[in-house]
Amino acid sequence: MTVTLLGGEMLLWSDLDAAHGPPPAGGPAARPLLGAVSGRTLVAGPHDPELLDAIPAEQLTVLVRGVADAEALAARYAGATVWCGSLEKVAAVPAYDTVVALDGLDRLRSAEDGELPWDETLARLVSVLRPGGRLLLGVENLFGLHRLVALPPALADTDWVVPDDHDPSRPAGPADLRAKLAAAGVAVVRSYAAYPAPVAPSVLLGPEILAEPSLAGFVAATLTTACAATTGMLADPVRLAVGAARHGLATELAPAWTVLAQLATGNVEHATARSEHGATGAGPWPDAVVAAGGPGREIRLADDDLPRGRGLAGLMLAACQRRDLPALRELLAGWQDGPAAGVPADRVVVGADGRCTGLAPAGEPLVALRHFARLVIDGGYAHLWPGAAGEPELTALLAGMTGRELEPTAVPPAASSTGDSPGSVRELTMARDRLARELAEARAKHDWYEQMLATREAELKRVRQINAVLSATVPGRAASTLVGGLRAGKRAMRAVVRRTRG
Amino acid sequence: MGWGVHHANHYYGHSHVLARYCGLDDSDPPRIQGYLQHGWNIGDGLAPDHEFVPGVAKFVWSERVRRRAWSLGRRDVYVVGAPWAYLLAMEPEPAGPPRAGTIWYPFHGWEGQHVVGDHDGLIDEIRGTEPGPVTVCLYWQEYRTRQVRQRYERAGFRVICHGYRGGWWTDLDPGFLYRQLAEQRRHARVASNRLCSAVLYGALAGCAPAVYGDPMRLEGERSAFGGQARIEREWADLHGAAVDPAVARRAAVAELGADRLLPPAELRRVLGWPMPASVGDAELTGVLTR
Repeated sequence: MTVTLLGGEMLLWSDLDAAHGPPPAGGPAARPLLGAVSGRTLVAGPHDPELLDAIPAEQLTVLVRGVADAEALAARYAGATVWCGSLEKVAAVPAYDTVVALDGLDRLRSAEDGELPWDETLARLVSVLRPGGRLLLGVENLFGLHRLVALPPALADTDWVVPDDHDPSRPAGPADLRAKLAAAGVAVVRSYAAYPAPVAPSVLLGPEILAEPSLAGFVAATLTTACAATTGMLADPVRLAVGAARHGLATELAPAWTVLAQLATGNVEHATARSEHGATGAGPWPDAVVAAGGPGREIRLADDDLPRGRGLAGLMLAACQRRDLPALRELLAGWQDGPAAGVPADRVVVGADGRCTGLAPAGEPLVALRHFARLVIDGGYAHLWPGAAGEPELTALLAGMTGRELEPTAVPPAASSTGDSPGSVRELTMARDRLARELAEARAKHDWYEQMLATREAELKRVRQINAVLSATVPGRAASTLVGGLRAGKRAMRAVVRRTRG
Repeated sequence: MGWGVHHANHYYGHSHVLARYCGLDDSDPPRIQGYLQHGWNIGDGLAPDHEFVPGVAKFVWSERVRRRAWSLGRRDVYVVGAPWAYLLAMEPEPAGPPRAGTIWYPFHGWEGQHVVGDHDGLIDEIRGTEPGPVTVCLYWQEYRTRQVRQRYERAGFRVICHGYRGGWWTDLDPGFLYRQLAEQRRHARVASNRLCSAVLYGALAGCAPAVYGDPMRLEGERSAFGGQARIEREWADLHGAAVDPAVARRAAVAELGADRLLPPAELRRVLGWPMPASVGDAELTGVLTR
């Protein structure tokens, strides 16, 4: 199949190679959603080709703006229709059962186009849907936490214009997205908060799972895994994501939203039936998709065996916040004495019965304890214990709280690739302030020790003087003679011993 | 003798008790990396004559004192519980003759202070209140003052002294708390004319406490943190010739931090002490007994 050049195509351009901007939409979490698309399908915008493999090629039409991408896709999917150019040039004919635009609307237009408001681009996309057709759309949240914690980005080739978060036609928040989709004629059937980034999210969480209090621990652990191991940020995104979930803002602050929306058919019953089930008949759409370094796992609340309870790290940090060290001691002991001892605390769920369930593979318990020490330091609770607040020292102290004797020198190195270095500006500032304080205190202590030393030296001098005076008296002289005699005797004995040995 | 950051750390053999709890040599306790509260206190836990070095830890007995100290601008304040509570944890009450009588602690001044008050009036009130034999425990200063001692002896009371609290790393008395505990466990009641460490100690050690009689006053006594008046107001239910033992025990547990004792391994790290020679024992038993 050859590439159809629609107009507006970019000759020296690829979105798939990620050389000019972010990589294409993809990620293991999105794959289960693609498996459920049906009928004639238009995939609009750059998508990781692996995602498209799930769609039968003869049903597939792909729209990309770079010629190189179009050629690569044409080679990969022999039976598919490949369009290259701008969405503007696509005929507004309702020909598709499904439109997939997980990359969003911003890369549907090329450098050859003028600007178009977001909602107009959406209307164009919706115009190709048949009645009852479905739109699988990804939308970046321009106030998402990935942006809140980001350092100022460097501009890439793709940023000839950047998404404008002042644009009133662009959805501001999940409710507004719903409203804008409804205004375009498509009703939201299913929506997910996508973490940790708009491109290739590893976690999609539906509103039901986020609203279920007994899954708070699972959600926290899932978000922790998703947002972990990022450096070069203003603040640790994990704390923000988990805090957002705790405050019911996980959807509002999600880096992106993934929604499934449907165009009205006029037949409401039919629409409802389709909304609850994937067209493949594989069952209802999942409440969440979680992919942590592996294939996406679909989670359905109706038949799940998810661990219920709260997150261990959250509980322990809350105890720190309340200054309730006995409670912390109990939680630490429950964790370190159980089978989840080697699982990092922020991946452990504590059930109502106090049982700890690990959601990550168990490693060395002391490494997990050190990781929690890091959370305590980054959380700003290190001042609850005396002494230098470095990770090894605090780890040894936490071990002490569980009754275990441990020296800081015996604490193993951190598991994370970032090691001891703080990963973000906030943590870096905290570490600097802590070190400055420790230095000032060490200097004050030094001065105090100097002062004590001077007092002691004066005392010693006084005692020596008394000694000298006493030695000059008759009993003093007698005592000196006695001691001197004894010393002479000892010397003489040594000389004799040496001679006999020699 | 390893000297502490502050000499008061060794008062009453406090650091000796903690060293033993931590599995260390209690005849030569290591230096505590900080100041240790050495008496019950309605202020920030530390004596008013303390001079503070920034960043040096202040170890207080109870969470309430920690909160108060923080509000007063103190930082680096940590709750460890009273050495007395550790001593009780290490010394389970032995089986012995049933407790009898009252151990009575007349309010005393400390070194350089003098109590102004009517000892005879107090003696009459003790006689009129206490149902059984009375042991009067005097502070070493008063115990050495023959007139004071004899006045109580003439009243028919047994007069004792727990020992010298020590100071500036000299004349330390590691046996002080042990003697006090042994005496308190012989008595059914503990009483004083002021709510003080000894009454709270007694309440924790199983005595029924009482606080009554002329509270007397110290020559030139300054009412820091509300003084005696505040003590009577704030801990009103611990005052009187008969106090609800359950209420008293709750108060004693809270004020002595008996609900917040640290495991030996943790206490050792917090005080900046070295690992004990026999770590195995410390880990196995949690509490080292001898």
